[in-house]
Amino acid sequence: MKDYHVLLVEPNNIMLERLSSVVRNTKGFELVFRSRDPQEALGQGGAFMPNLILLDIDTADSVKTVLDFVRAFPQTGILCLSNYWNAQIASDVVKAGAKGCLIKPFTTDELAAAVNTFGNSGMGMLSEVMTFFSPKGKSGKTTLIANLAMALAKKSGENVAIIDADLQFGDMSVFFNLDPQSTIVEATRDINLLSPITLNSYFTPITENVRVLCGTKRPEFAEDVSPKAFADMITMARSLFRYILIDVPPAFNPISVTAAEKSDKVYLVSMVSGGYEVNHMQRALDIFKVWPDYETKVKTIFTRVEPCEKQEQDNLEKSLEYPICSILPNEYLLVSAAANNGRMAVDIKPESPLARSIDQLAAKICDKQYQVR
Amino acid sequence: MQNKSGEIKMAEEIKNGMIMTVFSTASAVGKTLLSINMTAELAKSGYRVCVVDLDLQFGDICNYLKISPQKTIYDFQKNVENEQSTLDCQDYITQYEYQGISFSVLAAPRKMEEAYNISTQAVIAILSGLRSEYDYIVLDTTAAFSELNLAAMDLSTIITFVGIVDFIPTIKNMKVGYDTMRSIGYEKNKIRFILNRNNSKTNIELQDVEQLLEEHFYHVLPNDFFTAMDSLHKGIPLVIDRDTTALGQSLQDLIDKYTNRMRASDTPNAPLSSWMKKLFK
Repeated sequence: MKDYHVLLVEPNNIMLERLSSVVRNTKGFELVFRSRDPQEALGQGGAFMPNLILLDIDTADSVKTVLDFVRAFPQTGILCLSNYWNAQIASDVVKAGAKGCLIKPFTTDELAAAVNTFGNSGMGMLSEVMTFFSPKGKSGKTTLIANLAMALAKKSGENVAIIDADLQFGDMSVFFNLDPQSTIVEATRDINLLSPITLNSYFTPITENVRVLCGTKRPEFAEDVSPKAFADMITMARSLFRYILIDVPPAFNPISVTAAEKSDKVYLVSMVSGGYEVNHMQRALDIFKVWPDYETKVKTIFTRVEPCEKQEQDNLEKSLEYPICSILPNEYLLVSAAANNGRMAVDIKPESPLARSIDQLAAKICDKQYQVR
Repeated sequence: MQNKSGEIKMAEEIKNGMIMTVFSTASAVGKTLLSINMTAELAKSGYRVCVVDLDLQFGDICNYLKISPQKTIYDFQKNVENEQSTLDCQDYITQYEYQGISFSVLAAPRKMEEAYNISTQAVIAILSGLRSEYDYIVLDTTAAFSELNLAAMDLSTIITFVGIVDFIPTIKNMKVGYDTMRSIGYEKNKIRFILNRNNSKTNIELQDVEQLLEEHFYHVLPNDFFTAMDSLHKGIPLVIDRDTTALGQSLQDLIDKYTNRMRASDTPNAPLSSWMKKLFK
């Protein structure tokens, strides 16, 4: 484990003492300099060669303070400290160059977790939230999300989250064979008391950089998830993860609508089975037309497309009268076997046609991000 | 349509219809197909039947029957809300007729925003209105414990709980759904498990599922994807024109069980069938 040489800036004397002792007691952390005055820290801190700055931002001009420190310590990670979580300020300071925000007072575990999390993901606010909506369900959406999350993590090397907001009948925990300690019910219940680091612990790890916030354990718990708390939770999760994939229930309801509104992109997913899927897709698209930018925000994906070829995509596009972002092949047996064994994360082989199609989608999503927002 | 508006009904004609909800915890398991065929088969036996599309946002009943309704449940509920002590159901239903078999359809709203604005209270009022005019009201639903679906199930005599055995998450949700229904007080014999597509590709044994559910399947429908698809593309319930297929037969058997009916083919004592029918009418 890497050693952190910490520079701590905190104006309140009692808090400074308290946080100093937390830093000293955290394994792998050494307090090299502390001050109540940011100007003093800017002037003298460099002599102690910190590689981590814990910087109070409950000051008049938090963004300016962060910018000053970024200029003075360009190679040093900055974590901002605040008494309360404010999504706007958290977003602003990250844009200014901080790694993330930590709520005071924090524990040794939280400090270690913060450094791990923000160290991995870096720019918390440069996040992309994607909601996957299916008009009628049974679209292969859960399979798509599970595999896409893995592919995005692999491609980007950054932190990826899945939020299972299909509150009554979410399957993510079965797909990954998880027995979660906490779910979306607890995360939304506690959201007002949480900061990004503590929220992170509500997610269940799948791999080093993929985490899942599981759905409810029983359908009646779905009522406990308020759309407002759900929305706040998504905002906070943005500072933890580079990509957030949200699985929502079929049909428009307060939760699926909230997720869509909080997202950068909405993916409408439907299988092809010879019924009225295209009509339903059109009906769903109609709802989003109230967004002025819906053509860039709303993407469509068809699953179980046979044969999974350009020609077929063109045909579907024609009858849908809307661009199709991606088509996925039918691999029912492969997917159901993997899901049955709770081995979604390992059983879908990268050379399978399904995995290849999802990989291409992941590449599209990653590429987009390198364009200027 | 026999009971046109304005016609005075005789006392014995006022019905107290049975509501049957078709429900599932997974989408695309065949609820709509089953609803339509239950309705058609009941109509074939001479009952007055209405099927109501409670998949308000993405309902498929009219698609599967290829009918274009003039009025929908949205128009009906608007009237319920506005005043109307005397609900005339016939103004809002669409009649489906094929080869002398006829039943009523209360269609899902045409527009999505209309679907958004339908209150559960209004639907309850509509259902009790339909009850006085029909022997059977079949409700097609969505795969969710929504306020509307719960109200519909409360009113129902029988809940047809459709499932498919494809993979574990689906079965988990069936179990979770069943436990939920039991926990809110539904009697065991109110809930009838129907397994659809029995022979579809799967390595899960039927017995294992029954063991997990701690219930037996009340009825098992054979897998016949082609007949099912063909029927919905033609817009004709398969119990009408494909009644000799295995799936058609099985759907008729289900209604036999539900209505305690014996069909001519089951017994040489043919008159019994009509006698039974009268008894349960």
